[in-house]
Amino acid sequence: MENVSQIVQKVRQANWRVQRQWIGLFLLGLVAVSMVAGLYLNITVRATLAGREVQLLQPTLSSDRRKNSDLETQLAGLTSVESMQKRAGSLGFQPANPEDITYVFVPGYTPKTAVDMSQPGPASQGQSQKPVLLPEYSESLFDWITRTLAASAPAGGQP
Amino acid sequence: MKMLPYWRYLTVAVTMIIVGAAIPVQIVRIQSSPEVAGVTGNGAYEWKTFYPARGVIYDRHGNLLAGNKTVYEVGVDLTAMPALETKALDMQKNIALAVQMALGIDSAKVLKRMTDAVAGTQYIKLDDFVDSDKANQLMQLQDKVQADPSGLNLNAVQFQAHLMRSYPENDLASTILGFVTEDNHGYLGVEEKYDNILAGIPVTLLVPTDPRRAEEYPHIPPGQTLILTIDREIQASVEKILDNALESTDSVSGTILVMDPKTGEILAMSSTPRMNLNDYTRVGEIFPGATPFDRAISQAYEVGSVAKILTMAAALDNGTVTPDTIFFDTGVIYVGGFPIRNWDNNAWGYQDMTGCLAHSLNVCLAWVSTQMGNDSFYSYMQRFGLGHLTGIDLAGEAPGRLKLPGDSDWHPVDLGTNAFGQGVAITPIQMVMAASALANNGQMVYPHVLYAQVRGGHQSNMSQWVVATPIKAETAHTISSMLANALETESSVDLLPGYSIAGKTGTAQIPIPNGYDSNDINASFIGWGPVDDPRFLVYVWLEKPQSNKAASVVATPIFKQVIEKLVVLMGIPPDAVRLPASVPQEQVQNTDQ
Repeated sequence: MENVSQIVQKVRQANWRVQRQWIGLFLLGLVAVSMVAGLYLNITVRATLAGREVQLLQPTLSSDRRKNSDLETQLAGLTSVESMQKRAGSLGFQPANPEDITYVFVPGYTPKTAVDMSQPGPASQGQSQKPVLLPEYSESLFDWITRTLAASAPAGGQP
Repeated sequence: MKMLPYWRYLTVAVTMIIVGAAIPVQIVRIQSSPEVAGVTGNGAYEWKTFYPARGVIYDRHGNLLAGNKTVYEVGVDLTAMPALETKALDMQKNIALAVQMALGIDSAKVLKRMTDAVAGTQYIKLDDFVDSDKANQLMQLQDKVQADPSGLNLNAVQFQAHLMRSYPENDLASTILGFVTEDNHGYLGVEEKYDNILAGIPVTLLVPTDPRRAEEYPHIPPGQTLILTIDREIQASVEKILDNALESTDSVSGTILVMDPKTGEILAMSSTPRMNLNDYTRVGEIFPGATPFDRAISQAYEVGSVAKILTMAAALDNGTVTPDTIFFDTGVIYVGGFPIRNWDNNAWGYQDMTGCLAHSLNVCLAWVSTQMGNDSFYSYMQRFGLGHLTGIDLAGEAPGRLKLPGDSDWHPVDLGTNAFGQGVAITPIQMVMAASALANNGQMVYPHVLYAQVRGGHQSNMSQWVVATPIKAETAHTISSMLANALETESSVDLLPGYSIAGKTGTAQIPIPNGYDSNDINASFIGWGPVDDPRFLVYVWLEKPQSNKAASVVATPIFKQVIEKLVVLMGIPPDAVRLPASVPQEQVQNTDQ
């Protein structure tokens, strides 16, 4: 028993070592918490700034939409029937009569059809037009870690 | 190994704890600071009303017919006035003068409104729907005196931009479009019929003031975009022809309607008077009293002989007559005890049914309807839609009137007179819809002006509807051939060389109390072509032409002018070019390859 007691005393670490390990462990935790807090703060600030920018852009968006409407209406006025007829007349054109026209048989010719204003992409598939918001501005930190890990995982299944 | 002193570990640990604790403290401090609260509103929401932009309207080829433009509400922010009363009065005088210069509003009235404002009033609206040119003039004045050393600037003047309806083509297709008033409500035409989907839905929502909740900001879609079946070029040509026709024939009013008889799409529709839609406040002046805004759909009248095509189609369809049936015209027939005579009071002797149509013989058609009998004749007229709304997607349609046996005002003679379009009130759009059955293999189509709706980048095209099949396809082909032959044999009419056209004139007396007006007539023409593959159906109506009292003289030339334009604008080659038999064989072979 005496020998065993001696062995235990030999492998026990010094008190200062134990204390240093605890302090190190505590500091590691502190650093981790600080990193998480810093990251959270950073993301929150970026989200807030982006949101503020969105707020400030709302009037600009409205103004630009009004300008677009103005310009479209002005363009329509400039290309109205009356304007175009005047312009064509000043350039020496005159309305065609049936006897002025020579018809040529063109294989595969497709006559003019009505306008199609469908836009390509998701909108044309009936999805509503919603402002695009990056996931960074809406997901939680946990979501971000999960997404990042998922993105860094190797693609494909088992070899 | 030398040990570090304990106090050093302690110092490092305490420092790290302080720094570590400072971060969450700082987070909490920033988030609860008054500066941030000012921006975020402490997570508060505010009520906001959103007025979506009114949807725009295009013609079938994407030309804008109704758009929006920016206008301004101009007002004065009384809280921006100097505290000193005398200085405030000077500023108000400046504002009143500037407003008079730019907007033309009496400065004395403006000044009075500002000085008489009740205590506590923060804002006074001076004018609304101010044109951007005028508003810009006032803004430039405001900029010029911005740095006025005495402080008497125009900074209290405020501008609130918003949209209002604008019609770049002015009066083009005005009777189809209708108009929008300042309260954003559509009246008449498409603007009223589709007001709900054009205007969008104004909504009042709780909107977060916190920028971190940006994703919660509502997205209010604008009103839907509409694409009409109207072809701008055809519409403009038709309006020009109609205006010239009114002048040359000295008519009270006129209507021209162009429809695709296979789909029911209205390609052009014009009636007089028309108005510049940008100046809608003159509507009462241009359309006084009961003047219909769009005669093509709102004014029923006795169409006269153009209705004979329906009578003959019905009689052919139920087997009462064939094209070769011979009728001996004595110049008069008695129906219900009343004599019915021809338009020229003459007897035309032996006539087949094509001759009856070619010479527009009332006696013959009255005989045909009496041979059919009440039940059959009126059953067909109802199947053609007479006396009922067509349902065209325009506001203000009138149903017309078809008296039926059993009605208190129906008389047996009506069976005879209705056969040639007297005693029955029909709108031009009803006549066009009924005639579409004759031009379209017996299938009567729903007339409409909406081609498609566009929302969120997705275009939904309208379905083509067959309303009814009042006659058989072979009957439709037969009556079309008869009408084409009737036009060709009628020497006074040389419509369009190279094109087969079916049509019928109509010279109708105008009913007055106790009889018919002997001085004025309604002149009409209905026709379609090319007969083998109709692409257009045209209806012309001139009210009370003074230059001549015969539709063949006043209405037929108008119809001719319209179809001359149509074959050019729609790219319809002559029959000799268009029909497959006329295509050179080597070119047909090339096509196959």
